[in-house]
Amino acid sequence: MIKIWQIAVREFVATVFTRAFIIGLLVFPMMLGVFFLVAPRLFADRAYNIEGDLAIVDPTGKIAGDLETAIASNANGAAVGDALRRAGAPAQAAELAQALATPPKLTVVERPPGGDLEQEKAWLRVTDAKPPHLALAVIHPNAVTPRAGETELGSYDLYVPPKQDQRVESAVKESLRDALVAARMREHGLDRAVIKDLTTVPPVRSVTVTQDAERGTVGGAGIIVPIAFMLLLFMGVMGSGGGLLTTTVEEKSSRVIEVLLSAVSPMQLMAGKLLGHMAISLLMMSIYLALGLAGLSTFALFGLFDISLIGYLFVFYLIGFLTIGSLMMAAGAAVNDMREAQSLMMPLTLSLSAIWFVFVPITRDPNSTLAVVLTYVPPLGPFVTLLRLASTSPPPTWQVLLSIAVGFVEIVGAVWFSAKVFKIGLLMFGKPPNLGTLIRWVRAS
Amino acid sequence: MPTDAAIELRGVRKTFGAQVAVEGLDLTIPRGALYGFIGPNGAGKTTSIRMIMSILMPDSGDLRVLGNRSALEAKDRIGYLPEERGTYRKMKVGAYLSYIARLKGVAEKGLAARIAELLARVGLPGVEGKKSEELSKGMLQKVQFVAAIVHSPDLLILDEPFSGLDPVSSRLLRELILAEHARGATILFSTHVMPHAEDLCDHVVMIHRGRKVLDEPLAGIRRRYVPRAIRFEPLASDADVARVRALAEVESCQPVEGGYEVLLRDGSDAGRAVHSIAGALPVARIELKRHRLEDVFVQLVAEGGSLTDTESLHAELGGGADAGSVAA
Repeated sequence: MIKIWQIAVREFVATVFTRAFIIGLLVFPMMLGVFFLVAPRLFADRAYNIEGDLAIVDPTGKIAGDLETAIASNANGAAVGDALRRAGAPAQAAELAQALATPPKLTVVERPPGGDLEQEKAWLRVTDAKPPHLALAVIHPNAVTPRAGETELGSYDLYVPPKQDQRVESAVKESLRDALVAARMREHGLDRAVIKDLTTVPPVRSVTVTQDAERGTVGGAGIIVPIAFMLLLFMGVMGSGGGLLTTTVEEKSSRVIEVLLSAVSPMQLMAGKLLGHMAISLLMMSIYLALGLAGLSTFALFGLFDISLIGYLFVFYLIGFLTIGSLMMAAGAAVNDMREAQSLMMPLTLSLSAIWFVFVPITRDPNSTLAVVLTYVPPLGPFVTLLRLASTSPPPTWQVLLSIAVGFVEIVGAVWFSAKVFKIGLLMFGKPPNLGTLIRWVRAS
Repeated sequence: MPTDAAIELRGVRKTFGAQVAVEGLDLTIPRGALYGFIGPNGAGKTTSIRMIMSILMPDSGDLRVLGNRSALEAKDRIGYLPEERGTYRKMKVGAYLSYIARLKGVAEKGLAARIAELLARVGLPGVEGKKSEELSKGMLQKVQFVAAIVHSPDLLILDEPFSGLDPVSSRLLRELILAEHARGATILFSTHVMPHAEDLCDHVVMIHRGRKVLDEPLAGIRRRYVPRAIRFEPLASDADVARVRALAEVESCQPVEGGYEVLLRDGSDAGRAVHSIAGALPVARIELKRHRLEDVFVQLVAEGGSLTDTESLHAELGGGADAGSVAA
């Protein structure tokens, strides 16, 4: 036991007290910071100047006039509104934005109805026009009033040149829609301003009532907490698993392994390495968890998650780590270098990456058939169960206990297999083994 | 198989797939002995040593190390320098030696001083603070030897300890091995370079294609393989060698580089023959040509009918440039 401890301590010290570990520890919060602080600024829609001619063929004779009004009122207020909200503008940001935004400079060019459509389309093919020809809208004759004996209203056909910015088309469509609606309302004798007032309900902010206090409901809590816990579990398992793989390959390729095996048994070496890397990832997870909790506490959002989730995180971490970690170590022992290790571990890595494809549907519906089935499928089970536990609709207790039971069977199988491969593979050099070879080793040992 | 021997093997067999690496190996190494385990590359030396160390498990046969059924039970009393040896590149020498020593059960107290003393003994004073990647290959080999003896083992197993060492380092290592032996450690070292074994061992075990072909004290081998050849260099370049050929003890006399080689008839006394040759013509130099271990090995293998390429075997066992010879 002392030797296992000594190996574990060396693994811990050799990893944790390095610049690479400290930098790696800081990278994740930095990435989060970039994601939450910088990304919205990077990805936000900037004000986009739309300028050009919009041709319209209007057999109704009732749209063109409303179109110019609609274009003037459809200023791109969204980007300005975002900027105002980020700057801490009050609830009237939308009105302010609308007032400040620049409307698209679309010049409506009316074309006579009944002309040759192909000739009208040729207008769009003029590429060097100043101002540019942006779109041609052909209004249906029944766009404002239905044909006799019909109730259905028509629309319009829109023709645009190639490689046009999507925002131009959106602005054109928005303006045409407004113009059509305005013309139809007028035709029916309706006051658009009154209807707008009658159909507008101001946004309401809900209040979450907890045992101790009340707080504003955090809209994304149902998504953020499960993702945060799953991310933490994934980092803990894959980070330490990767460390085990790397150090084992390094010890084998540098030939220090035989010196170690003269002092300890392969099982002591394996146990010591597992213990050391478990301590490393627990330290890393604890730091992130503490930072996360401190953040929640700062914003008075501590009640967002159940404290028992930390216990579940530890249990599912153990299952994931011992399974993946021991398999990674076996792979490290079986191969000659990292390149071979990566190709041997490809099936496991790919199956683990499946979690990134299923986490959205599972978070949306934590008790769906997909979620329940994956709860018991290795190696995804621990991740899926934690994701479901952290969701707003946790699974029934029996499913959690069954998942833990499956996890422990998984550990026994993985550690048994890995121990046999580890023992034989450490002194095997030359041609990298495939799965068949590994199974032969297991049978032989 | 109760025994007081340091190492005892009975009928040990090891295969890798269809290939038999070691077959029916019997070996007894008494405590305090200095054994050479010799044979060409691929003979099964390293596999045998790994089985002794319990790094590999035999397919069949019995094995005892320092009175235990497995080396696993006595690892703290065994020092091992493997053929394929390395260190952690980024780890400092002192930390590495301290780690290995602690794994071998050495107490923390006094460990730093012991490491410093051993490093000074191998000519590397003050390298504790250097990383392994900063050392030359020769320096690293010395560090690795220190790792093998840092816990003052009762049994020291060295697999090809001289490979890659320059002559000065080889001589230093030889002295260190002898010092460990003098301390009371049982020593088994393997080599494919026979002169190293001749120079160092008091007992030799020869292995070829996984089978033991010789297990005898070096003195016994020398007695058994009595010299039957004499080399001499006449004082005058035009000396009448026919007078030597005419001697009753002489079967043949052939010119060789730097003189002549005389082959004696069976039953002739080598000492008297030396006197007879010196009396027949003035000589500048005359000596008995002893059997070298590699000659013994090649002869044994040839007798066993498993020798196909004598020259290449001689070349391998002679060790090329770093081989020596034992003069009479």
